[in-house]
Amino acid sequence: MNWQVRYALASFAKDGASTAEHVGGDLIKIMTRDRPDVLAAITTAETIDQATATHYREQVEGLDFLCGYRTQCIWEGGAIQYLEENHVGWGSFGTLGSAALKGDANSAPHKVYKFSDRLLRQYGRIAKVDREFDRIHRVTLHGGATFRIGMIADYEPTADEVRSLWARFGPVDIVWNINPNGTPQPEAAKAGRELGCEVMKWDELKDRLSKI
Amino acid sequence: MMASEIADHLMGTCASLKHFDAYMFGSTLHGVGQDIDILIVGPGGDLLAQLKKEIHCAGESLPLHTLYMQPSEERHTQFVAREKCIPLAQLASSGSWLSRTET
Repeated sequence: MNWQVRYALASFAKDGASTAEHVGGDLIKIMTRDRPDVLAAITTAETIDQATATHYREQVEGLDFLCGYRTQCIWEGGAIQYLEENHVGWGSFGTLGSAALKGDANSAPHKVYKFSDRLLRQYGRIAKVDREFDRIHRVTLHGGATFRIGMIADYEPTADEVRSLWARFGPVDIVWNINPNGTPQPEAAKAGRELGCEVMKWDELKDRLSKI
Repeated sequence: MMASEIADHLMGTCASLKHFDAYMFGSTLHGVGQDIDILIVGPGGDLLAQLKKEIHCAGESLPLHTLYMQPSEERHTQFVAREKCIPLAQLASSGSWLSRTET
């Protein structure tokens, strides 16, 4: 049994709300009272692209959920679109646990980015949203202006997180601290200025988009 | 693997840690956790880049979640005190007071 499956099973056993068993390889089955059983693949991939997502779906009949076990796991937009179109949930281990309890594992998106993604799609001034990665969105306003927005979910984004986001995903116009209770550190804002982007919360982002 | 064993592993494989203050926090200190939270406080630049490479290798088969802070950020947030972070060096030398986790 590989290490990520051992961690996953131990976490379910500790939490107690659902039970889980090893099916084989990266696969586990999660059982929750009065909810459908969930067949989930637990991967240690650091980046999940469409080829990885396709491989898991085609190799695993009845796959409900693809879980990127590492906290730093990155999901490419093509993988997200493929999984959602094929009714496979995707996201972190926390997303998997929540989805098993809710009974919507095969439609659940990564819960860290779920609400921020929805906020952008529902904001009236935005005409188009291209999701390049789980946390990187290129938005086009009705007037034609475009912004590349990177999301940081941490409670207190640091300078290193801003620089790491830029280094991994390339230039962004705005770094959005999507944690509603978050407070970007002054060092994070300074790092953003040095790179050429601004670090802000939703109210500032909305204000910015409304003035274009 | 116990928290102390994880600390041993990191300190043994990440030579650049000597330039930083390194801590563990979160659920792994008290048993099974979904991931292993590590806080690194120290300089940026080449030293940090090298440490990140070492941590990446050390975390090949561990769910490490590493937060890197500048000393000023740690002072602003009081993160070490607030999250009850334990120095890796202390964990590595303690051994037995923390409960066992599965790896």
